[in-house]
Amino acid sequence: MSSDAFLFWFLALVTVVSGLSVVLMTNPIYSALSLAMTMIGVSALFVTLNAYFLAGVQLIVYAGAVMVLFVMVLMLFDLKHELQAFTRGRITGAIKIASVGILSGLIVGAVTMGLKTATTLTESASAANAAVALKTNPDTTRALAENLFIKNIFGFEALGVLLLVIAVGTVALSRSKGGSHARD
Amino acid sequence: MPETNLITDIGLNHYLVLSVVLFSLGMAGVLLRRNLIVLLMCIELMLNAVNISFVAFSKFNGKIDGQVMVFFVMTIAAAEAAVGLALAVSIFKRFKEVNIRFFEHLKG
Repeated sequence: MSSDAFLFWFLALVTVVSGLSVVLMTNPIYSALSLAMTMIGVSALFVTLNAYFLAGVQLIVYAGAVMVLFVMVLMLFDLKHELQAFTRGRITGAIKIASVGILSGLIVGAVTMGLKTATTLTESASAANAAVALKTNPDTTRALAENLFIKNIFGFEALGVLLLVIAVGTVALSRSKGGSHARD
Repeated sequence: MPETNLITDIGLNHYLVLSVVLFSLGMAGVLLRRNLIVLLMCIELMLNAVNISFVAFSKFNGKIDGQVMVFFVMTIAAAEAAVGLALAVSIFKRFKEVNIRFFEHLKG
């Protein structure tokens, strides 16, 4: 087994197991730590896909900032083990799990049904792309910046405005006294 | 067409199936859990699954646009986590718990 195949299976195992434990842990702190492990696994998967800059951004933004936000709010609330972590009702729970299973089965079926055309397509495309990709491989960050700041500059600026609005809205929301539901 | 080995030849389909599995885990968490913060975590899990498939398509098609889209998804996810946690804080200040059933009091 080649090294990148081993790496993929190892990382897939890590992300799926830690993603499963996000759902199944009853203590929210353990869920948050499992989610951080999932983020690190996804970042390593980005490295195997030659997206080095995105892997760094994933580590900094998700495993750094967002997870710190989650853990800080959990510490603020001081939540212990929940009495009722999952939804009540066995029948509705079974229906929910079955619907998730059917959805994932349909998508996996569709992906693997398209295996034949996809392999021929990706083989011809990857044979053509392999030379180009190998030549320009260390430069994906540069290509990313050129695409982001030339082709998608409007979306980038719109995201800046969105982040400003979100910052103001979050501060206003956390300072609000509760509106018509105020205690007194 | 040469016979491709499912275990040793890692292609686009492997990444897509992994992405689907992670997305389904996140969706099951959103449907099954009651804690609002765990719900937000499961939404982050779903967004990460979509990011994997974006980057995989970007690599196997040889185009960079998928990675730019991952940037946008990350920004939206951070903003969504901030607003969701602010809502959770305001719910907790009133009810001393962050169970999802208190959100029925938000109307009006």
